[in-house]
Amino acid sequence: MNATEAALAETELEAERDEAARVAHEYRLAKNKRERRSRLFKHIFLIIFSFIMLYPLLWLLASSLKPENEIFGSLGLWPSTFNWSNYTEGWEALPVSFTVFYRNSTIVTVLCVLGNLFSCSFAAYAFARLEFTGKRLFFGLMMMTLMIPYHVVLIPQYVMFLKLGWVDTYLPLIVPRFLASDGFFIFLMVQFFRQIPRELDEAAQIDGCSAFKIYWAVILPLSLPALATSAIFSMIWVWEDFLAPLIYLNDIKNYTVPLALRLFIDQEGQSAFGQMFAMSVLSLVPVVIFFVAFQKLIVRGIATSGMK
Amino acid sequence: MAELKLRKVGKSYGTLSVMHDLNLEIHDGEFLVLVGPSGCGKSTLLRMIAGLEEITDGTIAINGKVVNDLPASRRELSMVFQSYALYPHMSVRKNLAFGLQNLKMDRAEIDRRVDEAARILQIEPLLARKPRQLSGGQKQRVAIGRSIVREPQLFLFDEPLSNLDAELRVQMRVELASLYERLKTTMIYVTHDQVEAMTLATRIVVLRAGKIEQVGTPEELYTKPANLFVAGFIGSPKINMFEATVTGSGSQRMLELGDFGAYALPPGLSEAHNRLTVCVRPEAIKPESGAIQTEGRVRLVEYLGSETIVHIDLPSGKTLIFQTHQMERHRVGETVRVGFDPGDQHLFDADGQRISTEEALFA
Amino acid sequence: MKNTKARNASGYMFLTPWLIGFFLLAIGPILVSLYLSFTRYDMVGDPRWTGLDNYIYMFTRDRRFWKTLEVTFHYVVFAVPLRLIMALGVAMLLDKGLRTIGLYRAIFYLPSLLGASIAIAILWRQLFSIDGVVNQVLAVFGIQGVGWITNPQTSIYTLIVLAIWQFGAPMLIFLAGLRGIPKDLYEAADIDGTSRLRKFYAITLPMLAPVVFFNLVLQIIEAFKIFSPAFIISNGTGGPADSLLVYTVYLFNEAFKFFRMGYASALAWVLLVIIGLFTAIAFATSKYWVHYENERD
Repeated sequence: MNATEAALAETELEAERDEAARVAHEYRLAKNKRERRSRLFKHIFLIIFSFIMLYPLLWLLASSLKPENEIFGSLGLWPSTFNWSNYTEGWEALPVSFTVFYRNSTIVTVLCVLGNLFSCSFAAYAFARLEFTGKRLFFGLMMMTLMIPYHVVLIPQYVMFLKLGWVDTYLPLIVPRFLASDGFFIFLMVQFFRQIPRELDEAAQIDGCSAFKIYWAVILPLSLPALATSAIFSMIWVWEDFLAPLIYLNDIKNYTVPLALRLFIDQEGQSAFGQMFAMSVLSLVPVVIFFVAFQKLIVRGIATSGMK
Repeated sequence: MAELKLRKVGKSYGTLSVMHDLNLEIHDGEFLVLVGPSGCGKSTLLRMIAGLEEITDGTIAINGKVVNDLPASRRELSMVFQSYALYPHMSVRKNLAFGLQNLKMDRAEIDRRVDEAARILQIEPLLARKPRQLSGGQKQRVAIGRSIVREPQLFLFDEPLSNLDAELRVQMRVELASLYERLKTTMIYVTHDQVEAMTLATRIVVLRAGKIEQVGTPEELYTKPANLFVAGFIGSPKINMFEATVTGSGSQRMLELGDFGAYALPPGLSEAHNRLTVCVRPEAIKPESGAIQTEGRVRLVEYLGSETIVHIDLPSGKTLIFQTHQMERHRVGETVRVGFDPGDQHLFDADGQRISTEEALFA
Repeated sequence: MKNTKARNASGYMFLTPWLIGFFLLAIGPILVSLYLSFTRYDMVGDPRWTGLDNYIYMFTRDRRFWKTLEVTFHYVVFAVPLRLIMALGVAMLLDKGLRTIGLYRAIFYLPSLLGASIAIAILWRQLFSIDGVVNQVLAVFGIQGVGWITNPQTSIYTLIVLAIWQFGAPMLIFLAGLRGIPKDLYEAADIDGTSRLRKFYAITLPMLAPVVFFNLVLQIIEAFKIFSPAFIISNGTGGPADSLLVYTVYLFNEAFKFFRMGYASALAWVLLVIIGLFTAIAFATSKYWVHYENERD
């Protein structure tokens, strides 16, 4: 065809292209609008759902500040007046001040966390890095202990501690942690240690390091995430532990915070709701703080423990 | 049958534009290979054709129908993924049948197609096995089988051989080529390996940073690369590139080529050019022959059996690679004289674009 | 020869704390517990051998035993599946690449973290009391609320709701599992025109099966061991007409309220056997519906 025909064909083609482009563009706009709308619905749903999920906690907080008669009166979350006295009076409401209880809980928690980190990392190092006869067997046994309910060993342990005269002290709570009683952390750390390249160990070995040196200078520093995760979970579980302190601690002066709360229900349970809630809120504060601060670690810890 | 028209296709992620104003026509029954370095957009383009990625701008039309708003399953195509994407918990037979079940095809027809595909790909004995029991090559064949059973009008391949070891890759390449011969359906194939491109394609599209550098048959790309990028990308070992300047004036103009000295300019070269790049393929450079010569010291000899690749250092410090089938062995350190004929040179202007020359004038 | 000895030495050196703990706090007590289950022991004198008496009484004459099994099973059968379904559902909702996923993930996980605490148990008791929040909300919809905790028919459901509220932990595990499913499986399904429903039960569920299995076993074991909420909400009694008498509370009371240590030990062993049986069944059936991906190319 000649030049004119070619040019005509070209313009026709161009027009056809542009029309198609316009149609496609319009479709795209409509699709984006649809997607944005469904995303909006999803967000609205999630926000409402989140509110429902958090409502109990918000209610607790609000009720700790409301005057007594308002607590069960309305669903509203905003107190008409802020009764900070629930906190100050509640703190001293029991024969022993909550200062003592918090001190006790802190001591127990800190020592237990240290014990867990120390003993579990030792065991994990042995399982993950060292060779010795019976390793497979012991590892299998360790994994099996994860499945054993505490209640099976509870009674004999109690009898043993009773005979040792350790009842009403913190020893039955703390000493087991120094003996790696919580297999879950051993498991967590083993998974983590296994990911550290063996070449680092081998290089250190060639440099003449002993097993302990390798543990201390190579493995531990590289395992801070696993250690931190273990510390955090350990801290939260020990802080909230109820059964063991319930069994072993008799003297109110030795009570940890959960026991103190339970005492609160018994003594004030039907009257001073506001104070009870206030003390409950305070007992949750350390956990929430740790959670908010170490959220990423916690989330990752759970996820990796699930993916064997 | 399937022919595609891509018009002013663009792709952006938010404000980042990775492709803009791309135009391409794909003819029915051809084996078109999209090739280019990683990040050039070849996979993105394929996925836009497939319907797995949004087409930000422009249109893609299959057989005259614009498919921008058509979901992947309605475009009558099928795709072979780099990682095979086989359903690990289903047997091979179930993997092959899965897509057909969605189409509510009747049982007998599904079985017929599955058996046929299994026969073509020689995977009949594997039908009852699970993917984890298969080797890489077998998995790839199942993936191809899955795309065959749909009897699509268009096949898409996203770097299907990249996960295979070298030997297997060669074998599968041959099988893919024979599959194409048999089915003669339009195939669009993405790879970063120019050898795959050259051996499989009826036409090749070289992409870089979202732009088409050249479209053509393997011969066209090899003998008439449109720019420096294509010249360097296609062909292994890589083409030799030398900077040159035009000296003199009028009919006395010469091409000053560094180590090679000066020689007559091809006639018909416009006055506008005075800085050029001269490219010569390694196999066009021969020892002790050629009109345009230079001398250098052998730095490295790669003996491949059927041929030898020799790297020599030129006086200016640049490296020249030449390829020879001759039996004599060059030794490292020895001086050798090499040369090429003007007919074998490719000239590129200061912007890297090909300058066509009247090759007929040179023997 | 010497090398093995040296290696063993350091291996055992690191293992010592755990070894001591294992024998003193695990194996030893388990065996002692078994022994005690055949005795009568009230902490005052020495254990007195009674043979199978404890077990015979437990299975033939102890009505509370059967009641506590019923209550506990009731709890497990409702709490675990509902919680997992919730966890999976929300995980799938969140998995669609939301930007604010971190925030929602944290919000939904928080109850899990706080759930075992006494504070939450206290809270829960008040939420479900006759004039508590739950009844107030129902009143808004015109539904007459009941005394959830004081009514033996409904009290266990307060615990079940508490368990479901804590879906955050299994949700996190499911989220990680969902992320592990290769995207191109869904893309291949898209090209084949697979409906969303089919994609879910032909791809998502089977690929998640190992994770579901793991979660299921873990959750069942945890559910059998529930203690604090039941204890606090029922004030240590096991609730109206023993409707909150979960197994561990029954065990605890037998041991530390009535000092029937021998019987409590027997109860503990039965619990161990029940949990063991469930786990064994789960593992045995897992072959049929759990497929582990073996990436050997």
